[in-house]
Amino acid sequence: MAFESLKIEIIGNVTLFDLIVFAISVLAAAIIAKVVAIYLKKSLSDRIPPKEMDFLIRVIQAAIIIVGIYLALPSFDINLADMLVVGGTMGLVIAFASQRIVSNFGSGLFLIAERPMKPGDSVNIGAVSGTVEEIRVLSTIIKTHEGVYVRVPNEKIFTSEITNFVANVARRFEYTIGISYQSDAAKAIRIIKSLLDDHPFVLRHPAPSVFVDTLSDSSVNLRVFIWAPSRVWWSVRTEMLWAIKKALDAEGIEIPFPQRVITFARDKEGPSCSGTQGDGAAYGRP
Amino acid sequence: MFGIYKIPFQTDAAGITVSVEVEGETSTYRRVAPRETLTKRLGYREGRVIINPVEPVNLPSEVTGMIEFHFTPVTLRPSSRILICLKFPVEIGVFVGADENYTLLDVFSLARPKYSLYGTPENGFITRHVECEVFESAPPTDPLKEGVLFLAIRNSGRDWVEVSRAVFDVSALRIFHGRTVAISGEMEVFSRLVAETRVLDLPPEEGMKQSLRVFPTKRLLIPEKQPFMMEYGVGE
Repeated sequence: MAFESLKIEIIGNVTLFDLIVFAISVLAAAIIAKVVAIYLKKSLSDRIPPKEMDFLIRVIQAAIIIVGIYLALPSFDINLADMLVVGGTMGLVIAFASQRIVSNFGSGLFLIAERPMKPGDSVNIGAVSGTVEEIRVLSTIIKTHEGVYVRVPNEKIFTSEITNFVANVARRFEYTIGISYQSDAAKAIRIIKSLLDDHPFVLRHPAPSVFVDTLSDSSVNLRVFIWAPSRVWWSVRTEMLWAIKKALDAEGIEIPFPQRVITFARDKEGPSCSGTQGDGAAYGRP
Repeated sequence: MFGIYKIPFQTDAAGITVSVEVEGETSTYRRVAPRETLTKRLGYREGRVIINPVEPVNLPSEVTGMIEFHFTPVTLRPSSRILICLKFPVEIGVFVGADENYTLLDVFSLARPKYSLYGTPENGFITRHVECEVFESAPPTDPLKEGVLFLAIRNSGRDWVEVSRAVFDVSALRIFHGRTVAISGEMEVFSRLVAETRVLDLPPEEGMKQSLRVFPTKRLLIPEKQPFMMEYGVGE
């Protein structure tokens, strides 16, 4: 009796039994895909970079599930030509019914094809800034620099301006370093250039550049342009700034506080009065 | 210092001491070099340690798989070929394992690393930068500090060309060691902008041993790219 109930047609010629066979086949394919993913992770994790590994596993899992569905289809005894017509119509209906999802899906495909970013890249998308964790078909996962999980719909990413800080192999950053007017700018430049020369990741070509940029109110401003590999630029940036500060201090080159020299009109009878306003150094522009 | 050692051991040279001391069922790897010291605990007390020169792109951290030689310009007439020797800095790799299965334990160097960019930031390559003179024959070197690249340059172009740069993909780099450390390479120049470089799998001198490489132990599944096409110029 129970077996007979399985033979009842539910949708067209499709019986409950067919549906169960289909579900079991897809479930088996999903389990196999999961097992294969675990096996690949165990055996290849030390030979393939993690990002490429994730991509490879996803492709293999998708292929296994597609094969599983394909093998399960005959249980429906469906004419593929009819299915294409029905599928196409259904597709249109679903597309109209879920425009946002389809839009996100299409954007996801374009993002995967165009590859303006990849997992691990440091990016800025609209108001979100962080590291790309995963690019899915409907959304992209960003881990902000504060470690917060952010899911951005692909449609939004596709229409936003994407700044990828590591898309190029090298990038430039700069410092402005003010030294006092009494300090020897040529010596300061020599010291900075020597430090840049010593650092392995300050690229030889394009060469770093150090020059007097502006004569500002309180300091002579030196500008430092540095190219570094994108993968390590942030650590180079933080290391070098402090190294420059320490080296200039050690050589007696002063980095002054903002200051202003105020000169009062000379009193005929009393001594002249002048003062320096500010918290720090006694030197200002003469 | 280069060679195969059985745990426990200690070897000293040029102010560097490398040792593995057995303590109960485990052992301790210790490397004392002029600028830094490294200690690692090993979960075994038997096995072999191989110390040999490795691809010089690992320090201070791996950011590239390319090495770029900048040398005194050499001018070649069309269809000519010359052999030059260039010095390069040596990085020393310490591998541990048994049979054919080795893993990298440590890399250190007495040379100061420097990196550069070959090409444009968009499409170029970060390279380990080596600035050197040109020698007609192998110059004397300290194998713990420097190796020699035997580079055959052929000008296959129709014009005279000045060559002062050679870039190699280290994933295919074969380093040989014996009394010296050496690499054999070829460079075929097609124009002032384009050349092809490849590393040869041949020891420059008889009796040299091929070094165990860092790249294959890390990325067996990445195919070796050989040769490398230099598309951003062979001169300044």
